[in-house]
Amino acid sequence: MRDIIKMIIVLTIIGAVSGLALSLVYEGTKAPIEYQTIKFVKEPAVKKVLTGYDNDPIADRKKIRIGEDERGKPVELIIFPAKKAGATFAVALEGKGKGFAGLIGVMVGVSKEGKLLDIGITSHSETPGIGARVSETFFTERFKGLTTDREITVDGISGATYSSKGVMSAVNQAIGYVNKFSKEIF
Amino acid sequence: MSITDEFTKGLWQTIPPFRLVLGLCPTLAVTTSGINGMGMGLATTFVLVFSNLFVSLLRRFIPSQVRIASFIVIIASFVVIVELVMQAYFYPLFKILGIFIPLIVVNCIILGRAEAFASKNNPVASLADGLGIGLGFTISLFVLGCIRELLGSGTLLDIPVMWSGFEPFTFMLKPPGAFVALGILLAAMNLISQMQARKGGGR
Repeated sequence: MRDIIKMIIVLTIIGAVSGLALSLVYEGTKAPIEYQTIKFVKEPAVKKVLTGYDNDPIADRKKIRIGEDERGKPVELIIFPAKKAGATFAVALEGKGKGFAGLIGVMVGVSKEGKLLDIGITSHSETPGIGARVSETFFTERFKGLTTDREITVDGISGATYSSKGVMSAVNQAIGYVNKFSKEIF
Repeated sequence: MSITDEFTKGLWQTIPPFRLVLGLCPTLAVTTSGINGMGMGLATTFVLVFSNLFVSLLRRFIPSQVRIASFIVIIASFVVIVELVMQAYFYPLFKILGIFIPLIVVNCIILGRAEAFASKNNPVASLADGLGIGLGFTISLFVLGCIRELLGSGTLLDIPVMWSGFEPFTFMLKPPGAFVALGILLAAMNLISQMQARKGGGR
């Protein structure tokens, strides 16, 4: 009996102390983690696809409601606007498409005139050396200057058809949002 | 054994993963470049050092029936700390290592050292043991990562080093390449040990 009580007490103490320590570390790292996520995932892609702005697209980001999920919670889309003298002339936003291994996130820059400025891959889990090549410039620059009033298609990378198609569907999803919510976006 | 011996045994005699052949899952999975291998190794070292220290400090209070459960709670806590800190301050590395950070919990090197060493020895020796084994693991992963990076992408620590016409064999970046690289390294290490043994007057 004494053994059992001792076991319970020791395990309880170890569990409680660990829990306390973890909650402290979590509180301490919460803000840096949020900052890092935007800085490393979104900011480089936003900077790549937008040029010639005089504002800070990250600080000026806005959220628009694009629908509701099955629980009735609003689904929001983050828009990074590029402004010159206070007027938005282009936006960057993220679209997702199914690649060879999971979703590919693509940051897409679209100008007010409906031209595709550039794209940047934000997240993917494609095969290194094969599908992962979609994030290289030689592929992403194929999207530059296309018009957004019709569905975008470019030549895929041979050997990485699924990944190339995933990027295209991500771009088309983002363009679809821009066309559908253009009033709120610009 | 002295403290120095406890420390240095992890660097050659019982260097994981080559000698203990433990912890192969992260070894094979994340060593696609030298930096990745080193990051994984250092994260594991951190967990190993602190879990060894705490298991050793608490070894008289933990009843032997629940020792494994207690060890796992201690190890898991440090793994989550590593995960949060990496996410907050080394985000790019955190993204690459991904699922293999939380999987440090079930790395048999860490539980193995807690059970086989830290629960029977004093905190100073346990600290030395954890540091030695951890650094050995880091070095192994770094070397393996460098070899695979060199052959698989033609770079070393992200700097291109191969001649201009070099066509990287991406095979080395994939799981089979990891096995091949590990096998060759193991063979090389055994060869060196054998030669050392012969020099020392046979077995």
